[in-house]
Amino acid sequence: MKKDIDIKSVAKLAAINLTETDEKKFEKDLNIILEHVDALSKMNIEDEEINIHPLGEILNLREDVSSEFLTHDEAMSNSPETEDGHFVVPPSLD
Amino acid sequence: MNVSNLSISEISNLYKNKELKPSEVYEEVFTNASLSESIIHAHLKLFQDEATEASKLSDERYEKGNPLSDIDGIPIAIKDNINLKNHETTCSSKMLSNYVSPYDATVIKKLRNNGVIFTGKTNLDEFAMGSSTENSAFGPTKNPWNPEHVPGGSSGGSAAVVSVGSAVASLGSDTGGSIRQPASFCGVVGFKPTYGTVSRYGLVAFASSLDQIGPITNSVEDAKILYNSIKGHDPLDATSIKESLVEIPTDKNAKVGVVKELMEEGISDESRKEVEKTIKLLKENGNKVVEVSLPLTKMALSIYYLIAPAECSANLSRFDGVRYGIREAGSTSYEMMENTRAEGFGEEVKKRILLGTYALSAGYYDAYYGQALKARSAITKDFENIFKEVDYLISPTTPTPAFKFGEKTENPLEMYMSDLCTIPANLAGIPAISIPTGLSKQDMPLSIQLMSPARTDSSLLEFSESIEKLLSFNQRTSLLEDMK
Amino acid sequence: MNMVPTIGIETHVELNTNSKMFCNCAVVETENPNESLCPTCLGLPGALPVPNLKAIESITMLALSANCSITKNGMFHRKNYFYPDLPKNYQISQFDLPVGVNGSLEIILNETKETVEIERVHMEEDTGKSVHKGSGRIDSATSTLLDFNRSGVPLVEIVTKPVIKSSKEAVSYIEELRQLVIDLKISEGKLEKGNLRFDANISVAKESDNELGVKVEIKNMNSLRSLEKAIDYEIKRQTKLIESNEVIIQETRHWDEDKEVTSSMRSKEGSADYRYFSDPDLPNMILTDEFIDNIKKTIPTLPSQKRDKLSETGLSNSESNYLSKSEEWIYNLFLETQKLTNDTKSTFNLITGELQGQLRKAGMEKLPEWLTSEKLSEIIKMINENKISFTSGKEILTNLIQNEMSPSKYAEDNNLIQDNDSDEIAKIVKNVIDSNKEVVERVKDGEEKLVGFLVGQIIKSSKGNINPSIAKDLLLKEL
Repeated sequence: MKKDIDIKSVAKLAAINLTETDEKKFEKDLNIILEHVDALSKMNIEDEEINIHPLGEILNLREDVSSEFLTHDEAMSNSPETEDGHFVVPPSLD
Repeated sequence: MNVSNLSISEISNLYKNKELKPSEVYEEVFTNASLSESIIHAHLKLFQDEATEASKLSDERYEKGNPLSDIDGIPIAIKDNINLKNHETTCSSKMLSNYVSPYDATVIKKLRNNGVIFTGKTNLDEFAMGSSTENSAFGPTKNPWNPEHVPGGSSGGSAAVVSVGSAVASLGSDTGGSIRQPASFCGVVGFKPTYGTVSRYGLVAFASSLDQIGPITNSVEDAKILYNSIKGHDPLDATSIKESLVEIPTDKNAKVGVVKELMEEGISDESRKEVEKTIKLLKENGNKVVEVSLPLTKMALSIYYLIAPAECSANLSRFDGVRYGIREAGSTSYEMMENTRAEGFGEEVKKRILLGTYALSAGYYDAYYGQALKARSAITKDFENIFKEVDYLISPTTPTPAFKFGEKTENPLEMYMSDLCTIPANLAGIPAISIPTGLSKQDMPLSIQLMSPARTDSSLLEFSESIEKLLSFNQRTSLLEDMK
Repeated sequence: MNMVPTIGIETHVELNTNSKMFCNCAVVETENPNESLCPTCLGLPGALPVPNLKAIESITMLALSANCSITKNGMFHRKNYFYPDLPKNYQISQFDLPVGVNGSLEIILNETKETVEIERVHMEEDTGKSVHKGSGRIDSATSTLLDFNRSGVPLVEIVTKPVIKSSKEAVSYIEELRQLVIDLKISEGKLEKGNLRFDANISVAKESDNELGVKVEIKNMNSLRSLEKAIDYEIKRQTKLIESNEVIIQETRHWDEDKEVTSSMRSKEGSADYRYFSDPDLPNMILTDEFIDNIKKTIPTLPSQKRDKLSETGLSNSESNYLSKSEEWIYNLFLETQKLTNDTKSTFNLITGELQGQLRKAGMEKLPEWLTSEKLSEIIKMINENKISFTSGKEILTNLIQNEMSPSKYAEDNNLIQDNDSDEIAKIVKNVIDSNKEVVERVKDGEEKLVGFLVGQIIKSSKGNINPSIAKDLLLKEL
């Protein structure tokens, strides 16, 4: 299939700020890889079923029991910035 | 006593007979680490004080005659993408350079309860993405057999420490060959268990449907011991399987298939000859060996390089500078995240995140990720079918012995090709092991890979032990002796 | 030009499980931020999700109750977007294989039964809470504070088809859904606590057009009142735009509670390409027939079934609707009492009027255990048989709420029994006529409103023991 990577918008989706040099390099590398994986498009596998678990295992659910894990201090211990027991970030827009 | 040449069961017996103490063994592996680290840089962190303390407690247990298990007092190194409480888990990334984990991975809990001594955390390609440890933000690990060569990756540190004797064994993780390929390059045993037999809880996810923790050891027997102590269903991992082991022949009745596609182009003569050598030994042993064809293995690399980046693109979204890790300034939270991720991730990681993001984005999902999932189902079926004819599959672990630094950094595909033989087992979720077989002309280790049906891990290990005996290759790197 | 509004509603229902959706952390109500956390709901590296069985049972029960088909081979998907209150920067949700599809809910709009079609019912996890610090407006916030206690709390999202035609219908739908989750005991169903949160998709089109207009999503409606007002406002806004041939932009708008207007929201940065893909941490979720049958067995009487039962007593649709949305004990009390009195109207009026009013005044949330349907029916019967006046009935009820006693004995002890002996009454009537001759004359001249005055005099003379209607009948006969 046609490769028309809009690297800027991909980087925006991935939340990675790229320099122009980065953009060029990644665009080139991605195109090399995508060209290679294009072989898949020729496979005739329409009817294959998809199992999320490689062994086809199904989901086990857990009982609704609550237990304590991290203390407040443990939860906050790696935080770059805190205030009144909250994590703090620059303003986020809704 | 040179413990580097002893197996886990030998050490354990010496402990029980009070002929050797855990603290003595730890001291020796620590000495080996202090000598070798300046050259090979395999550990990111050595837990000297804590480990010394732990080894003394283990001494006491043996003293009193009540060790916690058969691996009590065995010094083991842990790949730095597995969480160990109150220690850094950096994944060799700048992103997590300051991150201290508040919890233990399930495998760590199990080993802790068994009285294991944790020697430290080992180097890897950033977030386990790579085949040489060249992608570590903290500098590469060198191959103990020849520091000009890579140790393989991503579990390069874990393979190197076992090879050089600065730990008796180690844990690695394998997404596309990250245990087996470095084990092969460093001349040690690397085992990737059946998907779901070892809990992934606490392993920093790269590609969740492919990742599996496994042992790197000096011998197949050691791998078996370590595997048995970390395996088992874990209620904290929804992909963990309830034990339902399947047994297949492990003696001369075992039938072995040689994967035709993994003996053809792209495989060096040296690697192929190791397989042929092993086939000859097997035949002499009375085993039936036949050539089999798995045509879809040719697609494995393509499938892998869509599934793994797609999963990783979401798995690595949590690294955003909000709750932990480094943070770069930004006027809005989104800008902060963008800048943090630009600064915190290395090039290979960014490349795979971008690739995965693209493959999942609107309009491309069906063509890429959707198609890759279907192809994965197809390849899994091919394996199931072939295992109706043979019990085991044999191939080289790697197309070539360990390459030199900088050799494969130009074109991304060249590096990816070094996982050609290992990726299929991850796609199919089946167990696979790399066993050292000999040395190349340049005196670098060579190996073979054995694969078997899902859930036949015990049989695979048992059969591998007998092959290991047939091969009787037990040469070690002379790095430390040369230094001494 | 006739305009047709079309509304679809997305509702998030917070389930009342003990633990979160994908981890064992307790679902807590606390002012202390970041208290109930583990590696999974905080999105720490290496943590994994394991789904809560109770939550899956709850959503299955809801989907079945809303007449959905159940997806037996379902799965969870990751919905990817970057936002600081979303710890993994993806939300575990469901995409093309939700637990329930193609359902419907019956609602009562005025006196008519309507059906709201449900498109899907799916399971997901909640995000953390953001508090924007600064001058109050989101736009001028200086920083954002994050609390992840709510992160990972199980949410069921119910999406209607675009079939709702008015704000009143929308409100009625939410009331029905709320009652349903309360009756199923799967959520507290408290709007003020955010247990139910809703967004509305609104489009307006000319009646002559055969297709829907441009869809506008409205967020931030925190009460039924704001839901109604926001929809009305938005319909008016879009109608005006269409009438003046202006373009309606497909966007998300924010309901401003104070100004009572909707305004365009600054869109979340990044794009809305959510890159849904099946979550590799969560294998296919199989809901077996046995599982579904077991859930079916535990479904209690649904609000619509309650209404059917109530209608059989002769209540109107709106009366039935009222009782179906009252508390369980009121619904039961009505049915039991009605059975004893066989008088639907009086029973309904006494229970929903006087009884509920008095309980409210007394600050009581429940009936005292001695206030049974038998006692209540005793009061209703005494009133109906003219043994006591309605006023006396009220008095008995007031006392009955406070103390255990027999209504008939109380009536006797306190001289509340009406004197219905005609001879005795006739005497009193005669006395009243005799002593109010002037008034009687005026009544005869046609001043009918003075009849009430005379009746009052009669009741006064009898110390309230005469049934007013009997007194009136006798008086008119005498005149």
